[in-house]
Amino acid sequence: MDLVESYAEDLSFARKRVTRVLLGLVGAACVVLPWIAAEYVVFIATLIALYSIGVMGQNILIGYTGQISFGQAGFLAIGAFAFGHARGWGAPFLLALAAAGVAAALAGVVVGFPSLRLKGPYLAIATLGFGVAVYQIFVNWETLSGGRAGLAIPKLQSILGLPAATSTYYVYVLLLAAFTLATSNLVSSYVGRALIAIRDSDIAAEVNGVNLTRYKLLAFGVSSFYTGVHGALYAQVLGHIEPQIFNILESITLFVAVIIGGIASIEGSILGAAFVLLVPKVFADFREMVPVVYGVVILIVLIFEPLGLYGRWLKTRLYFQLWPFR
Amino acid sequence: MKLPSLLLTVITMLVLASPAVAQKVPGVTDTEIVVGLTTPLSGPAAAWGNTAVAMEAWARHVNDQGGINGRKLKVVMKDDGYNPGRAVANLKEMKDSIFMNVGLLGSAILQAAKDDIAEYKLPVINPYGNPAIWARQPREKLRYVFVAYTDYLDEGEYLLRHAVEKLGAKKVAVFHQNDEYGKGGLEGVNRGVKALGGKVTLAGAVSYELSDRELGTHALKLKDSGADVVILYPTITHGANVIKEMAKAGYRPKLVASFPLGDYLIMYRLLGELWEGAHFNILSGGAIANDPAGKAALDIVLKYEPKLKGKENTALAGVAPMILAVEGLKKAGRNLTRESYVEAMESIKNFTAMGLSPAGITFGPNRRHGLNAVRTLRAVKAADNSYAEVAPAQVFPPHF
Repeated sequence: MDLVESYAEDLSFARKRVTRVLLGLVGAACVVLPWIAAEYVVFIATLIALYSIGVMGQNILIGYTGQISFGQAGFLAIGAFAFGHARGWGAPFLLALAAAGVAAALAGVVVGFPSLRLKGPYLAIATLGFGVAVYQIFVNWETLSGGRAGLAIPKLQSILGLPAATSTYYVYVLLLAAFTLATSNLVSSYVGRALIAIRDSDIAAEVNGVNLTRYKLLAFGVSSFYTGVHGALYAQVLGHIEPQIFNILESITLFVAVIIGGIASIEGSILGAAFVLLVPKVFADFREMVPVVYGVVILIVLIFEPLGLYGRWLKTRLYFQLWPFR
Repeated sequence: MKLPSLLLTVITMLVLASPAVAQKVPGVTDTEIVVGLTTPLSGPAAAWGNTAVAMEAWARHVNDQGGINGRKLKVVMKDDGYNPGRAVANLKEMKDSIFMNVGLLGSAILQAAKDDIAEYKLPVINPYGNPAIWARQPREKLRYVFVAYTDYLDEGEYLLRHAVEKLGAKKVAVFHQNDEYGKGGLEGVNRGVKALGGKVTLAGAVSYELSDRELGTHALKLKDSGADVVILYPTITHGANVIKEMAKAGYRPKLVASFPLGDYLIMYRLLGELWEGAHFNILSGGAIANDPAGKAALDIVLKYEPKLKGKENTALAGVAPMILAVEGLKKAGRNLTRESYVEAMESIKNFTAMGLSPAGITFGPNRRHGLNAVRTLRAVKAADNSYAEVAPAQVFPPHF
């Protein structure tokens, strides 16, 4: 019987032995991947790791707090350019990464203020406007965006003498693990419960003592921090950024990843990120039909799995829990 | 040494010494040369993906002619949706299974892939994007890159001079896309204005975003500038829209356009008489559908890929780099390696790609910008889709 007997147990990352074993297997697979897989597979895994962080951030905002946002491209750009400038000034990777997250988080708090008054489609439009405005600022303010030539990012130093791609992969996977742990702690804590309460009914949440202003702004700030880090990691991988990379399509891609992966789910965030990257890649040989295949696959997933890919994982887990009695 | 050990040693030495192991070249077998293309077949630049479709059609034609030095071309084409991450992933995936790439497309993609290309030692023929990207690269990273693409600044300065000398412009305005391409053109125009020292003034520069659809206010701003010539640096859609809007506002300046508006058949279809009199450039100064060389190439390409009908000039922009790539393969001979191919490409002098190129493409050990040229035409009459050559091909100095 799945009985939680203490708060500490409730907060623990992997409560059951089977979960710990599965996590160990996933961890081992992540460690050995660069040694057995082709370089492009490692590169795609690196992209999945960095996208997962961004999708997780959006899930905190959209999935856990119920605040619809389409401003992701703006936060990505702020994170990427803050990171690019910091690296250009000689800041170490992790410091530049933190700067990128903080810059995006500050912007997130500012954007969060309308969320105190706006809901649903109105908030979506307001955040969309933010994304467009940020894009315009970077395009037209050449000191920020590096001008016509864009901004070059210094390469990441290889660690332990590993090949550059392998080294980057390990750094990104470690960062994903750290963000996963942080997200798990956040959503399991009273903060997470406050966010979920706001999503389910903000009036009821306020009546029960949840400070709407504080927690809505916190949700925007935290999710933007994640998205800023995502932008920074993407910039580091590409080695060069220009504003056109952070267009509205990026916002839509992140939104799709949240929905497809599973709303309010950490595992779903990783599955969603993998989906939006792998489906176009797997079907890349379909040429001009790729968007059609992509759209059809999204439709199929949503028709058969309204809870997203995480829903399928839940059902699979339940099946094995009940096996062989079902 | 015992017998089994001796046998093992001999076998190992034989295997290591065999040509198949010692001389394995990515993407080359006894019967095939694999050309890997990553291109935007979907997304905002999908129309340009037709360049790759035309390349593949040309490869089929080459194969039907017997192939190259006993090998057939195999084209592997992947969609990147104009997304740098996806394009880099495609290149990483293909790098060990393809011999070369042709027509890598998009400045952001070139920026993201430029160091990888050098690291993979992957020959890349005529990437479509700002040549300044390559000019800024260290010399040692350019070994495998061969470019025959017009520099944006050179084209901008040329268009300004053309407007002054051929159209008597006194005040010009620039309508441009708000990105590296459009801003590069504007910078070139500015350079021209300064160089002409007072002969002409830049009355205004109006930018737009790719996502903009309604261009009425842009047209009014251009009208307010009072320019007698408007220099255009837009996509086909935005160019046609702004010209229509200017006409609605009763503003009919003389038009000078950069190469994206060089497909005069599409421009006539969109604008009719409004396009008459416009001066426009052709990408890399190449041949167009009505030129004898263009017609000859299109007869072949359309036979293999009929869906390129209606996109003839874009198809030609894809065919010319493929012909260039094939020329290098022919010169490299049967003993094909990436190094022998680079040496073969370096030996190409004054190559006109079956007349599709306006002037000779020349590479060398210290030259990777094989041609930096434009060619300007004037739209004559919409009724018969006619045009006239208004200036011979202009060849600018190479940049790298």
